[in-house]
Amino acid sequence: MSVGSSYASSKLESDRVPDKFPVGMKILLVDDDPICLAVVQRMLLNCQYDVTTCSEATRALSLLRENKGAFDLIISDVHMPDMDGFRLLELVGLEMDLPVIMMSGDTRFNVVMKGVSHGACDFLTKPVRMEELQNIWQHVVRRKWLDSKEIERSGSVEEADRGRQVTDDSEYASTVNDGIDCSWKYQRKKRDAKEEDDNELDNIDPSSSKKPRVVWSVELHQQFVNAVNQLGIDKAVPKRILELMNVPGLTRENVASHLQKFRLYLKRLSGVAQHHTGLNSPLYGASSNAKVGQLGRFDFQALAVSGQISPETLAALQDELLGHPPCNLAMPTIDQQVLQQASVQRNNSVTFERGIAFGQPLLKGQAVSSFPVWPANDLGALGSASNLGGLNTSQNSNMLMTMLQQPQPQTVPSESNHAINVQRSCLVAPAKSSNKFQVQGNPMHINQDSTIISSQSSANFQPGNAVVPVIQDSAVVTSNSSTSLKTGNNLFVTNHRSTILPSQSLTGISLGTDSGLLNQGSIIVPSQPLNSSQAGSNSILSSQNSMLVPSHLSGSLRTDKNIIPITHNSSLNNSSSLVNYNRLPTQSNVMPSSMKQVLDNLAAVDSFSVPVSMNSQVLSSTGSSTSWQLHSPDISISHPNGTHSLVPSSCNIEATDRLLVKLPDKGLGKNLGFVGKGTCLPSRFAVDDIESPTNDLTNSSAYTGDDGYLQNQDIFGISGTLQSGHCATTSFK
Amino acid sequence: MENASGLQRQLARMKKDLFDQGYLDEQFDQLEELQDESSPNFVEEVVTLFFRDSSRLMANIDDALQQCPRDFHRLDNFLHRLKGSASSIGAAKMKNECTSFREFCSEGNLDGCLRSFQKVKNDHTILRQKLENYLQLLRQVGPVDKASRSGS
Repeated sequence: MSVGSSYASSKLESDRVPDKFPVGMKILLVDDDPICLAVVQRMLLNCQYDVTTCSEATRALSLLRENKGAFDLIISDVHMPDMDGFRLLELVGLEMDLPVIMMSGDTRFNVVMKGVSHGACDFLTKPVRMEELQNIWQHVVRRKWLDSKEIERSGSVEEADRGRQVTDDSEYASTVNDGIDCSWKYQRKKRDAKEEDDNELDNIDPSSSKKPRVVWSVELHQQFVNAVNQLGIDKAVPKRILELMNVPGLTRENVASHLQKFRLYLKRLSGVAQHHTGLNSPLYGASSNAKVGQLGRFDFQALAVSGQISPETLAALQDELLGHPPCNLAMPTIDQQVLQQASVQRNNSVTFERGIAFGQPLLKGQAVSSFPVWPANDLGALGSASNLGGLNTSQNSNMLMTMLQQPQPQTVPSESNHAINVQRSCLVAPAKSSNKFQVQGNPMHINQDSTIISSQSSANFQPGNAVVPVIQDSAVVTSNSSTSLKTGNNLFVTNHRSTILPSQSLTGISLGTDSGLLNQGSIIVPSQPLNSSQAGSNSILSSQNSMLVPSHLSGSLRTDKNIIPITHNSSLNNSSSLVNYNRLPTQSNVMPSSMKQVLDNLAAVDSFSVPVSMNSQVLSSTGSSTSWQLHSPDISISHPNGTHSLVPSSCNIEATDRLLVKLPDKGLGKNLGFVGKGTCLPSRFAVDDIESPTNDLTNSSAYTGDDGYLQNQDIFGISGTLQSGHCATTSFK
Repeated sequence: MENASGLQRQLARMKKDLFDQGYLDEQFDQLEELQDESSPNFVEEVVTLFFRDSSRLMANIDDALQQCPRDFHRLDNFLHRLKGSASSIGAAKMKNECTSFREFCSEGNLDGCLRSFQKVKNDHTILRQKLENYLQLLRQVGPVDKASRSGS
């Protein structure tokens, strides 16, 4: 036995004894550490597996690509010099659909979580012991089994379509741990689809699986993505995709399974950023300089934005967001050309669409066909449906979002009237020194299920006029020294169920005139040196079920006239007011100069009566832990039915350097005044919690620091730096 | 055969010492478990490989520590590798010292790094010597039942 062999060829297929599975299961072992490689190889050989070793990830990848079907399972180290293990993991999952087991000496929570979110089917701690390797064959079997189940299920065209639609949607909506939980997934399939017989289990030998393996090459996947884009991700059914793709030899089943993986991948993207501590704030600003800064490697690919709102500029993303080890998250990068050429009827938008370019680090200058844009809410239907068809190149592009560790600032100055559209499940992460991501003109911003992470020196997220940045189910995280979330005129920043976390040097959330920051079910947590949330005239800062938590240095939430900081069931911590309402209308032209006025006006608007007497200064910052206290001893808001009342006498909100926001329930009345249902901090709660306004916040649990994670990756892409203390435990009933 | 059993006892004692003194941990047992007819010299091969690879790594670390300005990130990468290798063969002391070293690294504590590195080098040298003796004895004892060989 040669211990240090770098490439030992595996046995021929014919040598394998099929009926003695898992004997002879073909494993590709990838690790740059020759000692570990030797030891694990020996262990695997002792388990009677077939082992091929590789000390370079790139070599491993080409091996896999050249020899389709040559391997059943891959075991890979996380830290490798030429390629991040997570990246390899991702590519393998997408291109070859093989189970991958990660190994590392680093077993911190966020590292393992990253493995999960990238699709690893297991995570081994180094040093690896023999007994851990003995049962790894289960991952191969499981995958084969599920795959063949899917084929069976998709055999019946219509029913399977419906079934899968339901399944996929429900999986999409409620999957917490991105589809790694195979058995859970399987159970869902079983439930939603037709009942299958147990025949498949008899055939556990993967070599005799009847499913022909399709290798999803880059081109093929591009076609796939285009087809999906055309149809719209929600309406993309395998049959239609297959028709659009028009690839001979490709079967519906192939498309179906690929679609499923694709969706999981996209979901994962939105959740990846949760593990990272870096915070960026995409700031909306009314800047006139449309300048798109990009960092790291990501190409923003212009996507046609059809629909109402398109995402605004994205500030630079922070590599740090990816944490350690380097994140494999692919980042779309904006090609300068793309941006400059983006000239769509009214809007130039660069859209980030979910998608991955497989095997290619960056796809530049490719326009991706648009996904349907979800109207954020009725408020901000400012932009028009703009089809960014004219954006550069063909429609065959994938958005490869690769965010690697080393930031290499690439500024992509965009002309004015460039809009950045971040579609679902996209992670837009401009790297560190990107200056600004400013979109002017009629930019729109949609950010659903995605994460916008602007890195440290990200300046602004400034939409120009008539821009409606909409962030849905996503996390917009700007990093330190991010400037502000400014909305220019006629802007609506709608933040559905998302979190805007401008980090420390966040200047402020300033709304220009006629702008509104509608924050539904979300959290805006500007961190420390947040200046203020200034609302210009006619602006509405409305937070439904959300929490606006400016940090302690924040000046104030100044509301000029015609401004309503309305926080529905939320805590609005600022110097001017703290109001909690139930179901207040989001738009109203109340002009409160004091809270009392606000409440009076609001009371008039709805049947919600809000007798409030409240001191104006409800928020004051205290202490070095950047906490602030709300003093409003007299407040009590009661619902007409008397079911809800808020008595925030004093509330301590602490934001530490790591953006720990704790909402102590001290002084709260029976109802949770400060944190609305389903809002609060991005703690561990599922999507369902947010969507249902009556959800109890007790689901949320506190987490902090590196160990925190967001269970609902669809909603918050915040790293585990928000701690929901009492917030989590107070019940809003 | 008195001689053989004496050697075996000696071997077992040597191994127990290594364990008791913290130089090795149970991962080393795993290595010995992997040695069998199909790989009769596995332990020796891996150990040799380790010392070769770790010497190279430590030379890199040495260089990195001398550079100005110190690249702690690069240093950490080396350490991560070194720690991984050490843990793979059960070199406990080295592994633990690497952990401390990395902490100093993350703090940017150059002084701590230098002290820690010195310890790592010492551990490395001592372990090498001890394992050489052990392996020599192991070769002398020859292929033995695993049951009788595992003394600790």
